[in-house]
Amino acid sequence: MYDEELYGMHLQELRRGTVVLACLIILKEPNYGYALLDQLERSGFAVDANTLYPLLRRLEKQGLLASDWNTDEARPRKFYRTSDDGHALADALTADWTDLNTAFRSLRGE
Amino acid sequence: MTAPTPSLTERYVEATLRRLPERQRADIERELRASIDDAVEARVEAGEDPAEAERAVLTGLGDPARLAAGYADRPLHLIGPDLFLPYTRLLTALIAIVVPIVATIAGIARAVDGDVGQVIGDIITAAITTGVNVAFWTTLLFAILERLPSVRASVIRDWTLDQLPEPPKRRRRHADLIAETVMMVLFAAFVLLTPVLRFKTDASGGPIGVLSPWLWDTGVVYLFLVLALVGLSFNYVKLHVRWSAPLAVAGAVVNLAASGVLLWVARTDRLINPAFRAAVDWPAEVWEWLPVGVTIGVAISAVMVVVELVRGFITRSWERADFGETIREATQRIPGVK
Repeated sequence: MYDEELYGMHLQELRRGTVVLACLIILKEPNYGYALLDQLERSGFAVDANTLYPLLRRLEKQGLLASDWNTDEARPRKFYRTSDDGHALADALTADWTDLNTAFRSLRGE
Repeated sequence: MTAPTPSLTERYVEATLRRLPERQRADIERELRASIDDAVEARVEAGEDPAEAERAVLTGLGDPARLAAGYADRPLHLIGPDLFLPYTRLLTALIAIVVPIVATIAGIARAVDGDVGQVIGDIITAAITTGVNVAFWTTLLFAILERLPSVRASVIRDWTLDQLPEPPKRRRRHADLIAETVMMVLFAAFVLLTPVLRFKTDASGGPIGVLSPWLWDTGVVYLFLVLALVGLSFNYVKLHVRWSAPLAVAGAVVNLAASGVLLWVARTDRLINPAFRAAVDWPAEVWEWLPVGVTIGVAISAVMVVVELVRGFITRSWERADFGETIREATQRIPGVK
């Protein structure tokens, strides 16, 4: 039987990149850093805060996310939302994910 | 908080911002503070003590330097996987060429007026100083390249089949080895026969050996011949055994040990039989320059051994020392040179 550490390592490899797609999908509705972190965790895409916050800025720099400061509440928050490019990329990646799933199923003879 | 000491959050945010470019700071500061406050608030709402909650949130965010590197998109390594092989190749090639050359020059320069200890000292000092300098500047160059994405791309070249190592030239090496063996047999025979060869005879008609009887009394001559013989056997082994680091190092050590014994004997004036020297009546300069000549010969052979060893480590095969080829390969490895 494989050990837990080995499983964790391969799982991490397998999941690398899924957080990006999850963010692009969730942020079709504008949201801010901590709420997104919380939602990702509840949806089963656990990610560290120190990974997510820089990632959001990177995706913004790549033009996949847009952001606005919301100063209506006492605590100003930076709201991110998926841009048009981000939408298109999310659709393409989702199609790839579906293809992968189909490919795995056919490999397993289902 | 009314206390004059800044809170943990203040200190954490400050430590992160310090490592970020000025233009990014204000925006990241606002967002980071809001994110920390949100996370602390969520924990407090769940019933946690506020101070504990703050500690837990900041601990979860981890090292501020790491967080800042994430924000600034800075690599957390000196030289990454793309540049690592060009880096190690250039470094080994430079060390294989530059260090032996500088060490030899330093050794020869000292051999003119120093004793054997000073020569060895100068060679070691020059080799270490040069090696450290070459390693430092090469590493610095690649660490900078790693951080200049535009230049970096031009350094990384696709691997092609042309870069496969050449197959060993077996036939040529066989011929070399036979020549080496013949030379070794003749040399050993000459050395062992010198006490009985009648170049010069003493008053009673007995032979005066060229080489010092001290070599036989102490057994040093046998030590030298055994080392030379073991060195030669290594060359035979190399023909039939795949390259390995321990074997390569052992071969080099035996070779260097033989050279070292010869150097020591020559520089301490124990090579030539004093009786022979008196009998031939050659000019004094011959005896003064003999140790210098031996030193230069030993230095050249030591450089060859070291170059061969380093080339072996680069190519993972039994390479013969070939300066022209080493320099040609090294220049090809310098980024930008085709």
